[in-house]
Amino acid sequence: MAAIQGMPPMPNKEDSDATWRYLELGVDRIMSDLKKGMDMKTYMGLYTAIHNFCTAQKAVGTGQFSPHNRGGAHLLGEDLYNHLILYLQKHLGGVHAESKKHNDEALLSFYIKEWDRYTMAASYNNHLFRYLNRHWVKREMDEGKKHIYDIYTLHLVRWKEDMFLATQKSVMDSVLRLVEKQRNGETIEQSQIKSVVDSFVSLGLDESDSTKSTLDVYKQFFEAPFLQATAKYYQKESNDFLAENTVVEYMKKAETRLQEEKDRVSLYLLSEITGPLMRTCEQSMIAAHSITLREEFQNLLDHDRQEDLGRMYKLLARIPDGLDPLRNKFETHVRKAGLAAVERVAADGENMDPKIYVHALLEVHTQYHDLVQKAFNGESEFVRSLDNACKEFVNRNKVCKSGSTKSPELLAKYTDTLLKKSSAKASEEDDMEKMLTQIMVVFKYIEDKDVFQKFYSRMLAKRLVQTSSASDDAETSMIGKLKEACGFEYTNKLQRMFQDIQTSKDLNTEYRDWQSEQLGAEDAKNVVDTSFHILGTGFWPLTPPAHGFVPPQEIVKMRDRFQNYYLHKHAGRKLTWLWQLCKGEVKANFVKTNKIPYTFQVSTYQMAVLLLFNEKETISYDEIQQTTQIAPETLDPSIAICVRARVFNVTPEGGKPESGTTYSINQGFKNKKLKINLNINIKSEQKQEVEDTHKTIEEDRKLLMQSAIVRIMKSRKKMKHSQLVSETIAQIKSRFTPKVSDIKWCIDMLLEKEYLERLEDDNLGYLA
Amino acid sequence: MSAPPANITLTSSDGVDISVERQVAERSILIKNLLDDLPEEANTESIPIPNVNEVVLKKVLEWCEHHKKDPPASADDDADSRKKSTDIDEWDQKFMQVDQEMLFEIILAANYLDIKALLDVGCKTVANMIKGKTPDEIRKTFNIQNDFTPEEEEQIRRENEWAEE
Repeated sequence: MAAIQGMPPMPNKEDSDATWRYLELGVDRIMSDLKKGMDMKTYMGLYTAIHNFCTAQKAVGTGQFSPHNRGGAHLLGEDLYNHLILYLQKHLGGVHAESKKHNDEALLSFYIKEWDRYTMAASYNNHLFRYLNRHWVKREMDEGKKHIYDIYTLHLVRWKEDMFLATQKSVMDSVLRLVEKQRNGETIEQSQIKSVVDSFVSLGLDESDSTKSTLDVYKQFFEAPFLQATAKYYQKESNDFLAENTVVEYMKKAETRLQEEKDRVSLYLLSEITGPLMRTCEQSMIAAHSITLREEFQNLLDHDRQEDLGRMYKLLARIPDGLDPLRNKFETHVRKAGLAAVERVAADGENMDPKIYVHALLEVHTQYHDLVQKAFNGESEFVRSLDNACKEFVNRNKVCKSGSTKSPELLAKYTDTLLKKSSAKASEEDDMEKMLTQIMVVFKYIEDKDVFQKFYSRMLAKRLVQTSSASDDAETSMIGKLKEACGFEYTNKLQRMFQDIQTSKDLNTEYRDWQSEQLGAEDAKNVVDTSFHILGTGFWPLTPPAHGFVPPQEIVKMRDRFQNYYLHKHAGRKLTWLWQLCKGEVKANFVKTNKIPYTFQVSTYQMAVLLLFNEKETISYDEIQQTTQIAPETLDPSIAICVRARVFNVTPEGGKPESGTTYSINQGFKNKKLKINLNINIKSEQKQEVEDTHKTIEEDRKLLMQSAIVRIMKSRKKMKHSQLVSETIAQIKSRFTPKVSDIKWCIDMLLEKEYLERLEDDNLGYLA
Repeated sequence: MSAPPANITLTSSDGVDISVERQVAERSILIKNLLDDLPEEANTESIPIPNVNEVVLKKVLEWCEHHKKDPPASADDDADSRKKSTDIDEWDQKFMQVDQEMLFEIILAANYLDIKALLDVGCKTVANMIKGKTPDEIRKTFNIQNDFTPEEEEQIRRENEWAEE
């Protein structure tokens, strides 16, 4: 057996000093010369010596640590434990002295080499002293003794006290110099740093429970100085770099640096440092220069530098509150862009082309929406800034200077042109859908949604009655979108209008069947081909004609027959005839020059006038007026169109429609087309309509506010005046922005009508 | 030694070599650590076991052989029920049917070789020998001299009255 040379025979198990002397030889060999190996006999010898000593009945207490009798089953071992501490202190003293001879990388190599050797020996000793661990150490710890550790931990504690505390500063300085080199672009031996990190981590012992470890030592002695050095390095670098380069260049640099630091963690640092390290870098590179960065923001916006804006966003998003100032600037910028876009296309209120206007709004929105998505990551706060800006310039711009109701009016008109037949652009269904979606984008920002509703329903009514709608699908889709945005109530009437038209279609079919059954063959020949729309009074924004009208006999017959049929079918209903919306076609058999007769598309009023000429060749203005009973403001333009189209000859030539003027049929009428539309909207009528619409809006708003107030009061019974006002605003806001003075007026109205009463303390009460 | 890496040799205190499967010997944490710590080439030597003689070592190895497939005891076994109960499995009961001297030798060896499960079984066996006996019977069983005065004994009895219930 090849025992280590010089290993004495097994000591007397009761002699503490002799036992230690024996052990020291072995421990020393393990500590300083483990590479030379260890044989089984020595290993067993050392273990057995400790076992025997600890199990000896009585120790001969001649050493300096005589075991004191603690009564009961006292376990020996303290002697050995204390001897080991002394030994380790001495050993480490030597290692520390040696370490002073080295610097920088050599010091790191030395430190790591010694650490590896020491910890290897520690785990050996831990096994050899296992008997001590199992009994004496365990008992001491169970009894709650502080500063007693298992043998392995004891080694670490000694290293920390006797070696680490005295050398860590030089070691860390070397580490930091190495890292700085790497940051400057040199190649370094990274594994050294990793080993140092690991050794610092190993020294983190939990004082209360030695089986657990903490990162305290690592945090205090590695992380803290590391972060400090990092901050210093980047403070200097970023200052120097910014002094000589543009902000854009700096942002690129910072981006690279941040990525480098992040990568560094996985190379040789503990992943726990990622958070603090990134915060440190962000502080030195971004927060310290945030003002400079933000100053560049406007410039980038002005030049639409999407990529650089994205870069800035990402950098400033890293620091707390970094983006708030950007959002404000962004909002202002978008608002200005919107206002400028409107300014460019703005024309006089009446002549503003709805399409150009809406497109100008959309273009700005699209551009910045795109920017938010691409550069600002679609972040909700920026979306909100965008929305705020859009809301501002959609409702308040040059075109809207008379009031925010102009935008919804123009938007509704634009929608009308899209949904009307004959608009060449809306050919493809996809395109139509896309354009409707765009309309909804603008619609979202409209404050006076009630105004849009008004105009939209009027124009929808017209499209439906005149069957000029391009497609039922598109109409349904649009109503669906509005419903989605504003709820059922908002589109209820629109939907009912749509339904009425569907119902009318069926009704007409039924009526035609009924009619052909009723009529004899002779009568059937003279039937005028008719179709009727039955429109629910409450849902349609239509009013009966303001003036009287005597329809021609042919029409009266048809009307009476239908009325008879309908009222029989639905007893108790009342039909009001909206003559101003009726239209028809007449054939001009008087023109002899053409083989096929011309067809005139006319309003019912024009029809009444034209049919008069079946009886007489020449008719005076007064005669026309008396027979038809059409009011001059409608009659005059209706005639004027026929004159302009040369259907009539006028006497005297160029005579205005007034008493004394007479009209005769132009027998020599000529036109390239066979079908001529004389039913042209009269300009003054259109203008009148717009004004009417606006007028009804004011009235409807008052009703809306009053009903909101009554609803609130009904549920609350009693409420402060000011609270009622704010609650009302909250309820109404989705439709339009009410003025406080209007609400007060409405409250006064309700007080007058005794829906409400004044109570003490500025309170209002509800009177059922 | 048909499969050299799997078999090792132990030398008892009275100089007898015993060849044993490595897995069996490693029930002893002492031997396991030793084999793990020392480099491979040192494992060709026989392992001296200076505190255990051939008879006891063989007996201990018999137990290890039977229990070689047991899962290694985890560190928190202290808390588990095995320790609290005095139940011993059938094989172990039979194994422990030896004279008192042998029983104590086994316990000492288990303690020395660091075979926790065997140490537990040994101690439980002793505990079962004590259970249900009067102090006098216990003294008789283990051949212990009564070194209490009658007064001392009376006091201890009073203090431990609660346990008699």
